[in-house]
Amino acid sequence: MKDRLFKDILPRVSKPARYAGGELNMIKKDWEQSQMKMVFAFPDVYEIGMSHLGGKILYGVVNEKSEHLMERAFAPWPDMEELMREEGIPLYSLESFTPLNRFDVIGFSMQYELSISNVLNMLDLGGIPLWSEERQESDPIVIAGGPVVFNPEPFAGFFDAFLVGEGEELILEFLDCLEQNQGLDRKTRLLKVAAIEGVYVPALYLVEYKADGTIQAMRPQYPGVPDRVRKRLVQDFDAAYFPDAPIVPYMEIVHDRAVLEVMRGCQRACRFCHAGTVYRPVREKSVETLKRQAQSQLQNTGYDEISLASLSTLDYSGVNRLVKDLVKTYGDQGIGVALPSLRVDAFSIDLANEVQKVRKTTLTLAPEAGTQRLRDVINKNVSEDDLYRAVEAAFGSGWNSVKLYFMLGLPTEEEADLDGILDLLAKVKSIGNRLSRRSVELRASMACFVPKAHTPFQWKAQNSIVELEEKRRYLQGRKIRNVKLSFHDSQTSMLEGVMARGDRRLAQVIHKAWERGCKFDGWSEYFKFEQWMEAFADCHIEPEFYTVRERPYNEIFPWDFIDTGVSKAYLYKENEMASIAMSTPDCRQVGCLECGICPDFGVYLDQKEEA
Amino acid sequence: MRLRAEYSVGPDLKFLANLDMMHLMERTLRRAGIPYLLSEGFNPHIKMSMGTILPVGVWGQKEYFDLELNHMPMVDFMTAMNKALPPGMHIRHCCEIPLLAPSLMKVINAADYIFMMQPTGLDLENIAAQILGQEKVMVQSKGKNKLKQKDLRPGLYDIKVESQDEMEIIMVRVSVNEPLNVRFDEILDVFVQVGIDKKYMLDFWRRGNYIKKGEKYYSPLEKV
Repeated sequence: MKDRLFKDILPRVSKPARYAGGELNMIKKDWEQSQMKMVFAFPDVYEIGMSHLGGKILYGVVNEKSEHLMERAFAPWPDMEELMREEGIPLYSLESFTPLNRFDVIGFSMQYELSISNVLNMLDLGGIPLWSEERQESDPIVIAGGPVVFNPEPFAGFFDAFLVGEGEELILEFLDCLEQNQGLDRKTRLLKVAAIEGVYVPALYLVEYKADGTIQAMRPQYPGVPDRVRKRLVQDFDAAYFPDAPIVPYMEIVHDRAVLEVMRGCQRACRFCHAGTVYRPVREKSVETLKRQAQSQLQNTGYDEISLASLSTLDYSGVNRLVKDLVKTYGDQGIGVALPSLRVDAFSIDLANEVQKVRKTTLTLAPEAGTQRLRDVINKNVSEDDLYRAVEAAFGSGWNSVKLYFMLGLPTEEEADLDGILDLLAKVKSIGNRLSRRSVELRASMACFVPKAHTPFQWKAQNSIVELEEKRRYLQGRKIRNVKLSFHDSQTSMLEGVMARGDRRLAQVIHKAWERGCKFDGWSEYFKFEQWMEAFADCHIEPEFYTVRERPYNEIFPWDFIDTGVSKAYLYKENEMASIAMSTPDCRQVGCLECGICPDFGVYLDQKEEA
Repeated sequence: MRLRAEYSVGPDLKFLANLDMMHLMERTLRRAGIPYLLSEGFNPHIKMSMGTILPVGVWGQKEYFDLELNHMPMVDFMTAMNKALPPGMHIRHCCEIPLLAPSLMKVINAADYIFMMQPTGLDLENIAAQILGQEKVMVQSKGKNKLKQKDLRPGLYDIKVESQDEMEIIMVRVSVNEPLNVRFDEILDVFVQVGIDKKYMLDFWRRGNYIKKGEKYYSPLEKV
């Protein structure tokens, strides 16, 4: 197969290096000597998938810490897909060029709701039946993990199991269990894995609905299958596995640099934020561990930049010391440090100046909302003064391009909040004109708010496409000179909203949409909204049921059986606080706010240095 | 000091674009702990410069780069680099060159391409002679101006044919940069014009890059 690809197929596609494998630090284990053969399948293109940190961790854990084997597969770009279908080439792994259907386990990484159409497409290209119930004994076990599977229900029909929570904690136990029960039939093996904490086998549960379409009850159908599936989480994050020698792609990828994960979780408790709930609590690595990991990463990859990743890196207690040490150790070799996200305050700018002694690229800040009232509603604890001070510090120290992130359609949003965005932009611009010698470049990106499962806003209505388009027109009609506004697509956000809070009846719609040619839905050039709407109509399902409906507190949600450790009582209270625009502080500063995660999981808030 | 290295790029790496190859080499320098020099200025980069671009889909037996570095014995440089290079790549030779020697891009002006084919049943000797006998060899330019017709003849220095048991080999020596830049894909177009179809092709690669002085060809390591 490899020969044919290299000679005949790859020379005919764009970016052939996506499909060639063989990168530096790739691990190719002996097929026969290995126990379970798993492929890590990323339902997007190579340069996105290879930028994903979770995949690097799982790849290392399975290949270095067990007798199992893990290879990789990505969604082929449509030109490659067409050629593969024409020439009868199945989707294959990049390590051994093995067709997907020869693996024991296919594990999809679900980072984004709308990548589900690519999942179906990849299964189809790999010669694997799309529906879980259609798979035979000889077919692979198809699983998924990642943030999206905290509400796995819309995708339940396609997966044999979901791994909920932090995968490095769970994957080996899962593969060991399958290995130990080899020879048993498929269903028995799935019953065995369903008993592992964090594993959800959807076919073992029955869902009943009320006449109004909401859920009556959801319960397991077999003894030994848990009522609730509890997420898995790494207890000692400092000691957790982290790859010393990740794969270095030959072609340029989205995040083309070494990565350190300085902490996991975020304690800011923004009420719209999914990751903020599901990855609780905050756990940090020590500066010493991180310096050691930096050294091995750089030594083994040769990257010229090292990025400090987390949900909110500037909140890492050791960030100051770590950044200064890294710059001191590696600066002379031309190796830089990158901070992927900045907090909206002057400290952030000072630190950013430290790492960017040379290159002053675009500064990105996320106030999210235009007025203090609305920022209090969403619990984005940023004051106007913080923001202006940050911008003053930035323009004053040589930056001249700022990008600001906002969301449209937040709960309780009114016209004054839209005006607030414009006022804020005008003020930032005038600060820039005052302090910067060159003309400043200001861009604002408007995302559409999508209520997510397990957040305080899980009960909220999502704005309709019509409402969002009206807001967009309102803002566009009040343009500020030299401020560039960009808007996320409201149709894409609507579909995302359906999946984010959907139930298992949606699988039919997804299947129909795929049949109608939907794929790469996250890519605007491929997103086919009409085909999706036709698929809904085919199945007699109204998408609005999942989006624009305000949900009562007593409604049973499709994701209620997933236990994130954060109690519903806490989410309820946060939602009520939002309705009176009252903010909640960070629990590291004011003490426990009783979200439930720490006592429930026997973990504790792990902060390494005095702030 | 400044050195010039000759390296090979194996068939598994033939899909790398030029920028990919540059990043690969820079990362290798860092992994190998080479005491390279950095440029001054806001955006310091390693003082390395690559020879002529290896086209995507083509592998190379003798490619070149120049590097400025703090003193290091040549043999240590090669050992460290060859340990750090990915499989399929190897530095074969290197030598110290004067700091002010002209760049590879300036001096390399010829290259050899090898086309390995299954038996074609064609009289390749005759076809080669026929191409070289023409006054003009016109192709559609594949360079910047794609609409332009381009006469390759002044840049076609030689075409040699060699028949073996189960394959036939065509070696084409062409001009690079000056006086004329003959692109690899333009040679394939010439082949198609004279009836050598792509379906015969088993493999192709660049055998070497040269400095042409009059009728003589030197390797960039010999003639600096």
